[in-house]
Order: sequence, then structure tokens, then C-alpha cells
Amino acid sequence: MSETKQVIVKVKRQAGPKEVARWEEFSLRWRPSMNVIICLRDIAENPVTRDGKKTTPISYDSNCLEEICGSCAMLINGRARMACSALVDQLEQPIRIEAMSKFPLVRDLIVDRQFMFESLKRVKAWIPIDGTYNLGEGPRVSPEIQGKGYPLSNCITCGNCLEVCPQVNENNQFVGAAIISQVRLFNMHPTGAMNKSERLSALMGPGGIQECANAQNCVHACPKGIPLTESIAEVNRDAWKQALLGWLVG
Amino acid sequence: MSATATQPDLSYLLRKLHSFTGLLPVGAFLAEHFWSNSAALVSAEKYNATSQELQTIPFRLIVEWGGIFLPLLFHGGYGIYIWLRGKSNVSAYPWVGNWLYLTQRYMGIIAFAYIGWHLYTERWLTHGRSRYANVAEDMQNPWYLVFFIVGVLASSFHLGVGIWNFLCKWGLAATVKAQQAAGRFGAFVGVAFSVVGILIILSFRFDWHPFSAYLPTK
Repeated sequence: MSETKQVIVKVKRQAGPKEVARWEEFSLRWRPSMNVIICLRDIAENPVTRDGKKTTPISYDSNCLEEICGSCAMLINGRARMACSALVDQLEQPIRIEAMSKFPLVRDLIVDRQFMFESLKRVKAWIPIDGTYNLGEGPRVSPEIQGKGYPLSNCITCGNCLEVCPQVNENNQFVGAAIISQVRLFNMHPTGAMNKSERLSALMGPGGIQECANAQNCVHACPKGIPLTESIAEVNRDAWKQALLGWLVG
Repeated sequence: MSATATQPDLSYLLRKLHSFTGLLPVGAFLAEHFWSNSAALVSAEKYNATSQELQTIPFRLIVEWGGIFLPLLFHGGYGIYIWLRGKSNVSAYPWVGNWLYLTQRYMGIIAFAYIGWHLYTERWLTHGRSRYANVAEDMQNPWYLVFFIVGVLASSFHLGVGIWNFLCKWGLAATVKAQQAAGRFGAFVGVAFSVVGILIILSFRFDWHPFSAYLPTK
């Protein structure tokens, strides 16, 4: 005679950046292996709140559903994480879902992470290959560098490391751990190293690596297990060597 | 942030200076200060002799201002500025590093306030001629005693965590293992300074000189 098991979900709704935020509560039918994205889909299928009021489907970003696209980062029970890997059975109910707080809100759970992409452009987080002519083969990458670089290349620009960082807030323009780690990745590549000093200079500008205060939340929050604190330490060492010793020893 | 800038931003240089002054000269002075004051653990006379020795160093004002007061003022002042720009979030993310981030700020401000008061009572009011008897008398005041203990603990904590931060932030301890080792080293320094500091305070309070046996018998 078991009554169907229910999942109680509270979602913070906001129609636009300047609209007033409100919470809506939903009661969903429990199913095995349910994650937060499935909850949001169920609500979209039948957008009725727990007390029977008709509402609109919730706006949210998601794509791959396997923690490799980076689009579904949000606050779940107050903590930044990927919604696709947040399993309902492991969460305390009612499950509170809200948008990340450190990025401009677009609507409901959607935020604008353009700041991260602009930061990646500023630090030239790429490896220059052919320009107006064929540059030929690049140097070979040693297996050691490949081994070190691979975990860093897993970054999905989800923004969790910025969201949990006490130094990322409206008082400064700190680029955050992900971008610093990308600088390390491209600086360790033999072709990428040709732009090493440019990347380091960019990271010593306003909002650069100096804003890190070693709280080390980033490395705990990273869904990809990227050694972010190690990246920050290594890039820090390269940066001060360039800034403080560069004029002495070149 | 601009990719074309070749000179580091002023905020970069000030941050580095803040980090560096915390260790040198401020941290180093704390070590020197505890070392000199531990003369009290031997005898009142040795304390007075050590104190006199320091009071008569050449270029004293330059050393005091350039090596102690100004770096301390900068480290404390800029530290408050850094604090105001951060937004702690330990309730959402109660991880050890995050707690240290928060406590480092509170211990810093306590140590800064304590050092200001300490300079006023033991340096300014004594006209830079501190003697064992003055300090021992101050220690009889329970409020002074408590503030001394709090100040010693806050300063030691701040130095210990600061050493860990320094080693991580200058990339001297980069790998996870190295950062853990740096953390243990910082904890050791913090505990060692706390113990020595408290022993010195007890020495003044109870006229207790555990190393008096080192003195030649008359």
C-alpha cells in the first residue's frame, strides 16, 4: 500500500536581472537515480507548485548531463555544484536550488559566465598555431608534460571555483582559479610557452593572481578534481620571478 | 587586466609587499622579540642587560622605524584593506582552509590592536627604557595579563598561518604534499611561539626564572 515517494524541491525564481526573486516549492514523484536536472525537467513537464498553483517552467542551463559541459553549475542546498551529478537520494530535502551568486543573473537558474570567457581571452588561454602562413610542426610534448597537462585540460569553465571563492565578489575583478590553472596549462606546453610572459603579465594586472588569499575552497569545489591550488602556486612562482627578478636577470 | 601590459599592476606589487613584510621584517622581529624577552626566563638582571643592549644599538630610531614600525603599519593597514575586499563564506563552505582564511583576519586585527597597545605601554610610556620591574608590575594587573596572553596567541597564530600562506602563495610549496608539509611547519611555528610567549609572560607574572641555574653561582 506504499504511497508514492515524493521529492520536495524549492527553486528560487527570478524573471530577470531586475525583477524580484521569489521561492517556489514543488512536489515531484520520486524515481530511482533521480538528479536535480531530472527534477527541473519534471517541473517543466508539469509546472504546478506544491500548493497547486500553475506556474512557468524553470529556466536553467544544462547540456551533457555527465559533468563535462560545465553549463549546469548552480547552488544546491547552498553549495555550488553541478546539477547533473547532484543525486536526489544524497540530498537533504527540501532541496533548495538557486542560481550561482557571483555571476550576473539572466533568469531563474541561468547566469551569464561571460566574465570567465573574457578572462580566458585576456590571458590568451590557447596555443597559437598557424597564422597567415604555415608555422610548421611544433616541438614534441614530453609524456611528463602531457601527464601534468591532462588533468588541467579537464576544466569545464563551470564557475564553481569562482562561486566558492571568498575573494571573488563585487569588490574586485579576481579572475579566479580556473583561469590561473589554464595559464599554467598553456604555459607548460612547449608551443604555448612562447606566450608565457604575456600570460603572466596579464595575470599580474588588476584582478589578477594577487587577489588569491589561499582559502583553497576552489580545489574542494572543483567537480573535475583539478589540482587548482597547485596551479595557483606554480603560476604565482613564475609570476613573481618575472615581475621581481625580470628586470635584474632578464 | 590587460594582456598588453608588461608592468605588474600596483595592486600586485602591494600584495607581494604585504606578503613579504609579514615574514620579513615583521615575523622576524617577533622571533627576535621573543628571543630577547626570554632573557627573563634566566633572570631579571639578564633581562635588563638585554633590554639595555637593545636600547643602545646604533641608528636606533632608523632601525625601529624602518625595520619595525613602518613595515608593521603597512602590513596591518594593507591587511585590513585586503580583509574588506574579501567576503567570507564559512557557513556555506566550512572547510579547514576557509576557516583559516577567516581566523587569519580576526587574529591579525587582534594582534594589530594588541601590538599598538603594547607599543604604547611598554615602549612609549617607558620612553624606550623598559625594565624588568615595570613589566613585572604591569603583569600584576589581571587585565594586562589577559591582554598579553591574547596578544601572544593571536600573533603566534597569525605568524604560523602566515608562513603557510607565504610558502603557498610564493609557489615555494606548490604540490599538495608540499603544501601539507608547509601547513605542518606553520602549525609548529605557531605552537612554538605560543608556548615560548606564554612562558615569558609567566616569568614576569610569578617572578619565575626556570633557567636561573645557567648563572654562575656566586
